[in-house]
Amino acid sequence: MFELISTILKYIFIVIIYYFIYGIIRLIYLDISTTSYTGKKISGKYPYLKLINQREKLKFKVDESYVLDGDKTIGRTPKNEIFIQDPFLSGEHAGIAIDHGICYIFDMGSKNGTFVNDEKISKKRHELTNGDAIHLGQLNFLYVESME
Amino acid sequence: MRAMDSIFSNYRPVRMILLFNLLAFTLLFLFEERYDQKILLSGLIVMALIYLSFTIIKWRTWGDEYLFLIVSMLASIGIMMIFRLEVQLGIKQIQWFMGGIVLFFISYIVYQKIRFWDRLTIFYLILSLTLFIITLAFGKKISGATNWVNIGGITLQPSEMIKVIFIFFIASFFKNRGSIKIPNLQIKGKKIKIKDTTVMTLIAYTHMGFLVIQREWGGALLFFLVYFTLLYIFESDLRLLLINAGIAIVGGLLGAKYVYHIQVRISTWLDPWRDISGKGYQITQSLFAIGSGGFFGTGIGLGSPQYIPEAQTDFIFSAICEELGIFGGAAVVLLYFILVYRGMKIAMKVDDTFHKAVALGITIMFGFQTFIIIGGVIKLIPLTGITLPFISYGGSSLTTSFVALGILQAISKNNFEEEEGEI
Repeated sequence: MFELISTILKYIFIVIIYYFIYGIIRLIYLDISTTSYTGKKISGKYPYLKLINQREKLKFKVDESYVLDGDKTIGRTPKNEIFIQDPFLSGEHAGIAIDHGICYIFDMGSKNGTFVNDEKISKKRHELTNGDAIHLGQLNFLYVESME
Repeated sequence: MRAMDSIFSNYRPVRMILLFNLLAFTLLFLFEERYDQKILLSGLIVMALIYLSFTIIKWRTWGDEYLFLIVSMLASIGIMMIFRLEVQLGIKQIQWFMGGIVLFFISYIVYQKIRFWDRLTIFYLILSLTLFIITLAFGKKISGATNWVNIGGITLQPSEMIKVIFIFFIASFFKNRGSIKIPNLQIKGKKIKIKDTTVMTLIAYTHMGFLVIQREWGGALLFFLVYFTLLYIFESDLRLLLINAGIAIVGGLLGAKYVYHIQVRISTWLDPWRDISGKGYQITQSLFAIGSGGFFGTGIGLGSPQYIPEAQTDFIFSAICEELGIFGGAAVVLLYFILVYRGMKIAMKVDDTFHKAVALGITIMFGFQTFIIIGGVIKLIPLTGITLPFISYGGSSLTTSFVALGILQAISKNNFEEEEGEI
């Protein structure tokens, strides 16, 4: 009886230890992706998008914040300036435009839509104000205006 | 989707450790039909201790979260193996583990509170030399090495503590090297200027000399590797490095030629099969154990690690390989890899030279110690008796490793500049 239990458990022990190692390496990896970006993080000059989601719960790489120092597009493909591999994002999901110091967001024909303060926005430019909650895919961002 | 998210949450690795301990202690409870409630109770204590400590570190945001997790996994594997070998030793090891965690938190707090660690260069030197002299004067001889001191019924291994003090000494030397003044020697009216690095080299070799007198070859090798690596990182003078390497090579060759104990180690390393029942007994038993384990091992309690000499201390890695297989052994090595990686990462983030050197020294110490003993038992390098950090049975080794980990944890918090500014 003991032999049987021990024989089964030896495989389970190995699985547990390796799964533990996987978990640790994964968390460390997620950690690195933020620390390497802290250098150019928030300069205070430009508005930025701050992630509200708990990053460790997302299964893809995403930064803690994205600086909006110019026109940007957000999407799943690498040709976007802000590219996040969230399966719920469209290839080209939304765009950000800066015009005379005012920041606008607009949808780019995404499948799941872009929401500002729980309201779905269209392809027309929507003006952003400090503290707006932006939701796209699985992501929740907070729009923070520059400190100046 | 939500359920999947929670599986990958931050607390997941700690749950894996708890699950591991739960299964391990249930198995140990059934092993040899012992049905001893003490075993289940000690299992509960270990689980509660790990979970509580991890929660404290996370809740108080006391620096790096992963160090403690990795180490508790290693310690859990060790405790399981020691329990399986001998219940009495296992219970003792759990007591040491509890003491180790208490010391871990104490050393974290003390290291954070005291801000003048880098100004105690001479104090470290005096402390370590005193400990060495105490060991030589009152030392007991256990399995070939005179490195045990009996103080009030508790046997201690001072060389374990000296490792940490030595790292502190080197670190404070590199921090203050500009300001250390060494008086010039006067011989026959001539003034001879002594470089500060010469003094440090001499002190480092004095440490190693004491270990050689105690016949602790593994310790001497570890001290040299830690010293040489730190020198390589912080010293730009290539000549000094070459001189040190030269001294090491000459010393090693002389030792191999004239010291009987080292000759035995090398000849059993080259060919342990010639004297299988005598000098080669330890290493061959270790190799038999690793070989009989195969890929997945025999299973806990189904192998025969009792034939390995010193299975609970120096040769615990062979016992793990026998009962958990090559996959188990590789997992242990991988865990040490992540530990060293984390340590390097912490050292790179700190700006202050002293803290950087201490963090690096501790990390290098863990890494080399693991390499020396695992390399020894698998016959990669000549075998020298040294403990496997966090896994091997032994109070001095386990508690010192936890003290060193507490210091590393304190450095990982990396708030030294901020608070200095406030004062």
